[in-house]
Amino acid sequence: MELAEPIVRVLGFVKRYKKHVAVQGVDLEIKRGEIYGLIGPDGAGKSSLMKAIAGVLTYDEGAVEVFGTLIDSERAAEQVKQQLGFLPQGLGLNLYPDLSVEENIDFFARLRLVPEPALIERKARFLAMTRLDKFRNRAMKKLSGGMKQKLGLICTLIHEPELAILDEPTTGVDPVSRRDFWTILAELLRERGMTALVSTAYMDEAARFHRLSFLSSGKVVASGTPAEVQALVPGLMVTFEATPQMEAIARLKTQYKQVEALGSLLHVFTEETIHASAMQSITSSLGDIRPVHLRVDEPELEDVFVALLLRQADQPPSAEMPRVTALAANHGLAIEAKGLIRDFGAFRAVDRVSFQVKSGEIFGLLGANGAGKTTVIKMLNGLMPPTGGEGWVAGADMKTAGGAIKERIGYMSQAFSLYLDLTVEENIRLFAGIYGLNRPATTTRLEWILSMAGLKGYESSLTSRLPMGVRQRLALGCALVHQPRVLFLDEPTSGVDPIGRRHFWDILSVLAREEGVAIMVTTHYMSEAEHCDKLALMFAGRIVSEGSPSEMKRQVETEAGRLVELTVDRPAPAINELELAGFAGVALFGTKLHLLSHDPEGDEPRIREICAASQGVVQSIKTRPLSLEDVFVYRVMELEKQERKQTTGVAA
Amino acid sequence: MIVSGVPRSKRAAIWWGRLMVMTRKELIQLFRDVPIVVFLIYSFTLSVYISGNGLKSQLHNANISVYDADHSFSSRDLIHKFQPPFFSFAGELSSSNEGQYRLDRGTVSAVLDIPPRFHEQLAAGEPTAVQLLVDTTNSPQGLSAASYAARIVAQFGQEASLARFGGSAEASQNLPVIVSDHRVWYNPDQNETWFESISHLLRMITIFAMLLPATALVREKERGTIEQLLVSPLTPLLIMLPKVLAMTVVILCAMAVALFGVMQPIFGVPIRGNLVLLFSLTALFVFTTAGMGLFAATITKNQSQVGLLTLLLIAPMLMLSGVTSPMEAMPPWVQYLMTLSPLRYFIDVVYGILLKGNGLKELWGHVLAMGLLGGSLFGFGMWRFRRQFQ
Amino acid sequence: MNFRRIKAVAFKEWRETVRDRIFLLLAFLLPVLWMLVFGYGLVLDVEHIPLVVVDRDHSALSRDYLYRFTESRYFDFKGSLTSETEADAWLLSGKARAVIVVPEKFGERLLAGQPAHVQTLIDGTFPLRTDITKGYVLAINSALSGELLADYVARTRGLSREQAKTLVQPIRLEVRYLYNEEVRSAWSIVPALIMFSLMLAPPLLTALGIVREKETGSIYNIYSSTVSKIEFLTGKLTPYVAISFVNALLLWLLATLWFQVPFKGSFGLFLLSSLIFVLTSTGIGLLVSLMVSTQVAALIITMVLCTLPTILFSGLIVPVSSLSPGAQVQAHLFPGMYYTNIVRGTFLKGVGMNVLWADMLALALYAALLRLVAYRLFTKRPRS
Repeated sequence: MELAEPIVRVLGFVKRYKKHVAVQGVDLEIKRGEIYGLIGPDGAGKSSLMKAIAGVLTYDEGAVEVFGTLIDSERAAEQVKQQLGFLPQGLGLNLYPDLSVEENIDFFARLRLVPEPALIERKARFLAMTRLDKFRNRAMKKLSGGMKQKLGLICTLIHEPELAILDEPTTGVDPVSRRDFWTILAELLRERGMTALVSTAYMDEAARFHRLSFLSSGKVVASGTPAEVQALVPGLMVTFEATPQMEAIARLKTQYKQVEALGSLLHVFTEETIHASAMQSITSSLGDIRPVHLRVDEPELEDVFVALLLRQADQPPSAEMPRVTALAANHGLAIEAKGLIRDFGAFRAVDRVSFQVKSGEIFGLLGANGAGKTTVIKMLNGLMPPTGGEGWVAGADMKTAGGAIKERIGYMSQAFSLYLDLTVEENIRLFAGIYGLNRPATTTRLEWILSMAGLKGYESSLTSRLPMGVRQRLALGCALVHQPRVLFLDEPTSGVDPIGRRHFWDILSVLAREEGVAIMVTTHYMSEAEHCDKLALMFAGRIVSEGSPSEMKRQVETEAGRLVELTVDRPAPAINELELAGFAGVALFGTKLHLLSHDPEGDEPRIREICAASQGVVQSIKTRPLSLEDVFVYRVMELEKQERKQTTGVAA
Repeated sequence: MIVSGVPRSKRAAIWWGRLMVMTRKELIQLFRDVPIVVFLIYSFTLSVYISGNGLKSQLHNANISVYDADHSFSSRDLIHKFQPPFFSFAGELSSSNEGQYRLDRGTVSAVLDIPPRFHEQLAAGEPTAVQLLVDTTNSPQGLSAASYAARIVAQFGQEASLARFGGSAEASQNLPVIVSDHRVWYNPDQNETWFESISHLLRMITIFAMLLPATALVREKERGTIEQLLVSPLTPLLIMLPKVLAMTVVILCAMAVALFGVMQPIFGVPIRGNLVLLFSLTALFVFTTAGMGLFAATITKNQSQVGLLTLLLIAPMLMLSGVTSPMEAMPPWVQYLMTLSPLRYFIDVVYGILLKGNGLKELWGHVLAMGLLGGSLFGFGMWRFRRQFQ
Repeated sequence: MNFRRIKAVAFKEWRETVRDRIFLLLAFLLPVLWMLVFGYGLVLDVEHIPLVVVDRDHSALSRDYLYRFTESRYFDFKGSLTSETEADAWLLSGKARAVIVVPEKFGERLLAGQPAHVQTLIDGTFPLRTDITKGYVLAINSALSGELLADYVARTRGLSREQAKTLVQPIRLEVRYLYNEEVRSAWSIVPALIMFSLMLAPPLLTALGIVREKETGSIYNIYSSTVSKIEFLTGKLTPYVAISFVNALLLWLLATLWFQVPFKGSFGLFLLSSLIFVLTSTGIGLLVSLMVSTQVAALIITMVLCTLPTILFSGLIVPVSSLSPGAQVQAHLFPGMYYTNIVRGTFLKGVGMNVLWADMLALALYAALLRLVAYRLFTKRPRS
């Protein structure tokens, strides 16, 4: 990377949409061969910048130079397009739903004049690499989210562009598929010497970038290598348990901006850089509450970005929940699924799924894309009749539920389903009206939603003009407008920035803990799953594992061992070797490598040996408590392995 | 069951409130689509003006050329009788071949061939014949040109022979002929702008009323917004009805603009009947037509499909319901088929109220038919809708 | 221009179209159904006009006179009334469109060699029908008048009836119907229906095809790739042009084989002009699609833009020469008219390029102009 010349130069870039300024004066340079990242909160202007670089959007001021050509006209943009690949935002939206996987690839290739022999060769290689080869003939609309994303990547890269521009390629994709995606991308880029400009809403993915720019409100806040950016916000993450939790949080919040409760654990970001003093200051600010299981870690990238964002000052004001006095938590059964089955033709999407959710409980349904989570939710809220089994919500069978029950249910679907041609306020008022709120109630709820979802200032923006993350927040607001007793949230935080997500979970906690709302949620952010009281992991339509977050972790620990975290300078090649050596749960987490071992101390020399053999020097090796992401990745990878064995076994 | 204690009046208020917010939503969506608004305005103003002003559905002005081999006083006299509005004289021909040539090119639609010795024979009281070549590629025009020509020639002959009897104009008063006194009712001046502007208005209302609610419903299915409505306490009726209601409001306003902004002040279209009745029945028509569109929307999956399906239905409605050509001559099966077309009734309603001053007394049958049709279409659509989402 | 890229776009479009079975079915079914329904159902002749009569005379002659109306296929006899006020109600309710009132002493006067006045009340709401009704009444009147006059002349001058007839009616009009010798309504309607179908369906298919890509966002694949504007537009339209062209052929077969309409002209000329016309009508859809951003708007605008001029200004029902001067200008601005001339010319008249070149040229210019404007309007680098 040292000698690489810049292939993209952006100087004083400004983009306006009518009166609204989306980007105001951005400079950046992308060098050949690097993965350049764009991150930042929703509406920071990432998409506009990427589109302008891809030559598919005009801009108002400044200069965009790609491969030495100044992109200032349609003609100039045309000149560099052969060298570019662009994947727009939105999971699979640019693909053709009725065409098969192969037909989609063929179309993109032929549009780019890829010679047929090269196409055949690349297609075979890409399909094998993404494990989509089995689905060659499947219509794109029948693929799961993760598969769509991989197909999108193949289609964008089939002509081997020198610069790939990928706008939030991993939003809405499960953790395992996301890892796959990044591995594939890295491999392709290395093999072909490609350059990539990528944006993401998953902050941990920023570790995959060589360099990045952090955008906020249309300006670059920080840029450099991930390490450089991280160095801008020195500090440590302190994790502990403290009771009573609410009181502890209240005390911590007077001193620290970043306090997050994950189940029983509290995470606090402190600007202290010395472990001992970090612990010291936490303990003192807690006063007479004693923290237990105290540990101090280097902050994750996500923590750093949250800190950066919080420095930006315009923190969304915390919304006060209007208290519901009428209905206290009654801890009765709110949702019950009994042997739910759903078939689509010969394909069984959901296979005998049973679970119960009490009032005041947050129930998380986890699983890879296409595992059947959405189908379960749709059967429970009455959108889809089950092929077999029964579903009960608030004591009523949803197949026959009338308006009275539906008034008590809130639903936020995975695909954005509000009206794009209405403004934010109009959407909220519409749903307030649908749920029969009277005028004063509507006004209070409108206010509440606007501040809760951080939509102040967007009231009269058309929904179609909103960035994805803001849309999601609006959708959540609309699902909550009538203060439902049971909430179904299908990937509610997909594409939402970390601050928005944290804020969002604060609200869910209050809803569940204080108002007794039963919440059923799916998410691909495993850190969010920690907030749930109960989890169920779905795989291929079945629930394969169930329990509280800590139970789930314990199950994995007894099964596969404790978590070992390695810092390796070249982790990618080591992954394969470690897997071959029989270690479970080997996966990349940010900059670090995770694996599971029953005997971490005993295995240490072997691990160092294997890494060294693949030219990786282990800089540190230590055990860590398992995170849910580890649990998810381990479980799903194991199940996929089994499944592959079975299918190959059948084939043989 | 939690709500079961709520009194009926409160439930009705909530129902009404839901209807209103949903209707408002439909209106906002409609008016936010600028090209649609522009077109809506155009369709009910300028376009009404243009078609009212420009169209002549009567078979006027058949271009006629004459090959006059006689060049006499009588032949010129005869030629002179081929006058507008029925014929427009398009010049004399130098040879009879030229007639065929012009007919082939379509520059004339009839050629009159006057033989030599025409005057001579006429003066001598001998029978004579003139030939008319008529282009019948457009058969009604060809036929009516022929019949007009026959009348002109017959009259000319009669007058010529009467003149030969030495009879003067008053002589014919003492001859046994039937004299027609025509009285044209409701539109005595045969003002075609009335008919054309009204029928244009009817066509526009039909297209908008059928298409917009249908596409609005399919768009909800396509974009997934319907899911958000289905999990809410809205009943299928409350999802579909607001689309119709919004369309009705828009159409009534548009009709008022067309009627009071263009047709009445510019063309002098009379309003002889009750305006309230006119607008209420227009609302009924919109309901019925939109019901048909919504039904189409429930059996299609995307907007391309619903577009084609509504086009398939709209074309016969516009062509066969009686705005384009009168119903009476249509074959019986078409007349039966068109009992399913709400436009067939609405035509009589609008002309009846505007021009004839009809009231419910004359129109109740049509009102009943439209109501039944609309009710069953809407009911059918609701049934399909429910079935689709169960 | 790169043929491979055009092929890629066209192929993709074609596959998507084929996968949507209902859409594909409708696209082919629509023109055929229309031709069947309109070919049999659209009768433009004004006949069976509902008629009531008021006979105040009750003479043999008045009965004979009214018999001519009731027996005519132009009128549907609905009943005999006793008073004019009763007739008013019939007209008002639309149950009758015309009333013939025969006065007292009708027969007496005529037999005495005196003229008789017959009153006709006609519903004026539909001017075409009014006009034609008048014409029929006049024709029946003058036929009977001619006979009465001949009888009278024969009686008073002592001539034979034949001689008297010639005397009264010295000129015979020999009418020769050209091109559609039996004056069949279907022969004149069916060829024009090819124009009707090709004018309505293709713009809709095209407009939706492009706006759909705008709505879903897949248009960004085009924006961001090297496919040129011409290549994209050509490829995108090819399947729709192909579908419409196949429809033109199907309709031709239906017209000639099923409706047995004679096809007298050159088939090659028909094919060529149909292709040009299809290019024109898809061009209209293309233009609409570039000006709107939602499918709803695309639908309503193409429908309003195409349906009305096709019914009114294309010569399908009202010949262009019968239009008012202002409407004639509009008709010339609309492509339907030229193609109507061409189909009727090739089917019924059997004329060739020497006659139809101007229409062909107009269509070709139209197609070219639409594409030029579309090309200017389409941008791969939009403002938002």
